[in-house]
Amino acid sequence: MKISHLIKKYGEKSVVNDVTFEIPKGKVTSMIGPNGAGKSTVLNIITRLTQRDGGQILFEGKDIKDWQSKELSKKVAILTQSNNIQMKLTVKELVSFGRFPYSGSRLTEQDYKFVEQAIKYMELEEFQDRFLDQLSGGQRQRAYIAMVIAQDTDYVFLDEPTNNLDIYHASNMMKIARKLCDDLGKTVVMVLHEINYAAFYSDYICAFKDGKLHTFGTVEEVIQKDILKSIYNVDFEIMEIQDKPLSIYF
Amino acid sequence: MHSTKRINNRAIIVGLLVIMLMAMTCYQFINVNMKYFDFVMRLRSPKLLAMTVAAICIGSASIMFQSVINNRIVTPCLLGMNSLYILIHTVVVFVFGSTSTIVNNQNLAFILDVLLMGIIATTIYGYLFRKTNYNVLYVLLIGTVLATFFGSISSTLMRIMEPNSFATLQDSILASFNNINTDVLVMAVVLIIGVFATFWKDIQLLDVITLGRSQAINLGVDYDKTIQRILMSVTLLIAIATAVVGPISFLGLIIANISRQLFSTYKHTYLIAGSAMVGVIILVGCQLIVEHVLTYNATVSVFINIFGGIYFLYLILKTQGA
Repeated sequence: MKISHLIKKYGEKSVVNDVTFEIPKGKVTSMIGPNGAGKSTVLNIITRLTQRDGGQILFEGKDIKDWQSKELSKKVAILTQSNNIQMKLTVKELVSFGRFPYSGSRLTEQDYKFVEQAIKYMELEEFQDRFLDQLSGGQRQRAYIAMVIAQDTDYVFLDEPTNNLDIYHASNMMKIARKLCDDLGKTVVMVLHEINYAAFYSDYICAFKDGKLHTFGTVEEVIQKDILKSIYNVDFEIMEIQDKPLSIYF
Repeated sequence: MHSTKRINNRAIIVGLLVIMLMAMTCYQFINVNMKYFDFVMRLRSPKLLAMTVAAICIGSASIMFQSVINNRIVTPCLLGMNSLYILIHTVVVFVFGSTSTIVNNQNLAFILDVLLMGIIATTIYGYLFRKTNYNVLYVLLIGTVLATFFGSISSTLMRIMEPNSFATLQDSILASFNNINTDVLVMAVVLIIGVFATFWKDIQLLDVITLGRSQAINLGVDYDKTIQRILMSVTLLIAIATAVVGPISFLGLIIANISRQLFSTYKHTYLIAGSAMVGVIILVGCQLIVEHVLTYNATVSVFINIFGGIYFLYLILKTQGA
C-alpha cells in the first residue's frame, strides 16, 4: 500500500501535511508520535473513515477511493478505539459480523467455520454466548479482534489497541498483533502511544510530528536517542534488551 | 444457547401475533347488535386498518430512528414532525377558512399533508444533516427548537382565529381513529408499501449500522448514504402516520422500547415486527376502552400521553440506575 502526498485540513489548519510512505507487506508497522501529530488521522484516511483533502493512496494498483467499499472490506480491516455498542450483542454475533462483506446477514456453512475458528483462535469459546456488556475490557477487545480475524483480510489496522488496557492485557494485545502477522501472514498497522511496545513488537516504525512524517524505517533506524528527542522534545536513553532497542524517557 | 435464544424470539413473535389477532377480533366483534351487523363492520374495519397503519409506520420508524441515533429514549417526535403537522393545518385553516375544500375534503387534505410534510421535513433535515456533517445530536437539538418555533406560530394563529375555524382545527390536530375514510387508508397502505420497497436495502443494513460508523464502514457499508436514506424513510413513515391519524408519534417511544425489552437481540427484523405488533395491541386496547368504557369521552391520544409519559419517566430512571 503506497501513500503519497497525503493532505488533510480542518479549516485553515492542516493536520496532515504531505505524508508519503509505503506500508511494507506482511510486516508489523507502528505509527508513533506525540498527541495531535496526525497519526490517527492518517490511519483513518487510509481506511476511508475520514475524507482526505489531497494526495493518493494506492492499494493493489488502484486508489482507495476507486475501490468498491464492499470489495475493500474483504482486504482491509480496521479497529478503532471507540466501540460502544448499545445493542444486546453476544460475542458470537459480533464475530459473525466479520463475515458481512462476504455473505451479508445470511451466513453460509463456510462463514460459520470462519467464525468458529476466529473465536477459537482468540480463546473466547467459553464467552461466546455472553453479551458484550458482560465482558471485561480485555475480553471485549479480544472479541473485536476475533471479528477482524473472521473478516479474513490481508491488512489489519488497529487504532491504539492497548488503550484502556492494563499492562497484562496490553502486552497480550501486542503479542496477538505479532501473531496476526507471523501466524496468519497479515500486514498489521497500528497507532501506538507506548514507544516500547512499538519497538518491541513491530518491524517498522513510522514517526509523526506536527502532521508531517518525521522518520520512517526499521525499529533500529528509528529508535535512536536524537531522533526520539526531536520527535517528543524529551530526553531519551536507549538500552538493548533481548536484541531490541528500548527507550527510557525522563 | 444461541439456538434457544432464537426459538425464544420466534415464540415471542408468535405470542404477540396471537394477542394482536385476539385484540383485533375482540375489537371488531364486541357488543355487536346482530341487526346492524353489516353497518357495524363497515364502521369498525376502517378504524382497525387505521390503527394497524399507524402502528406499522410509527413502530418501524421509531426503531429505525433509535438505532441510527444509537439511543433508546429518542423518538422521531423530537424532529418536530408533530408541530409541523399542527402548523400546516393551522395555516391552511387560517388562510382558507374552515369551509374550504382543502380543509373538508379528506383525500385532498391527506395528499397535501403527506406531500408538504415529506417535502418540508426532508428539505429542512436534509439541509441540517449536510450542514452539521451528519451530527444527529445537533439535528435533534435544532429539531426541538424548531418544534417550539412551529408551536409558537401555530398558537399565535390559533389565538387570532375565528372560533368556528378553531373548533374545526381542533378536531384535526388531535389524534383520533374516528371518521377516517377508506380512500385515505388505501393511499396510506400504498405509500407504506412504496416506502418499504424503496428503502428495503437500507433497512436491512440497520443491523450493521448499530455497530457504529467506523465498524459499518469497515464492513463495507456506505454509512452516510445509508443513514440519510433511513432517516428519509423515517420522515416519510411518520408523515404518513400523522397524516392519517394526527400527531401520535409519541407512541413510538413506548412500543419501540417494549419491543426492545421483549427481544434481547440486535436483529431489526424482530425489533421492527415486534414494535409494530405491540403498537397494534396498545392502540386497539386503548380504542376498546375509549369506545366501550369511556363511551368516547376521551381520545386515544390522552391514554398514549398519560401512559407514555409514565413509561418515559420509568425508562429515564432505569437508565440512570444502570
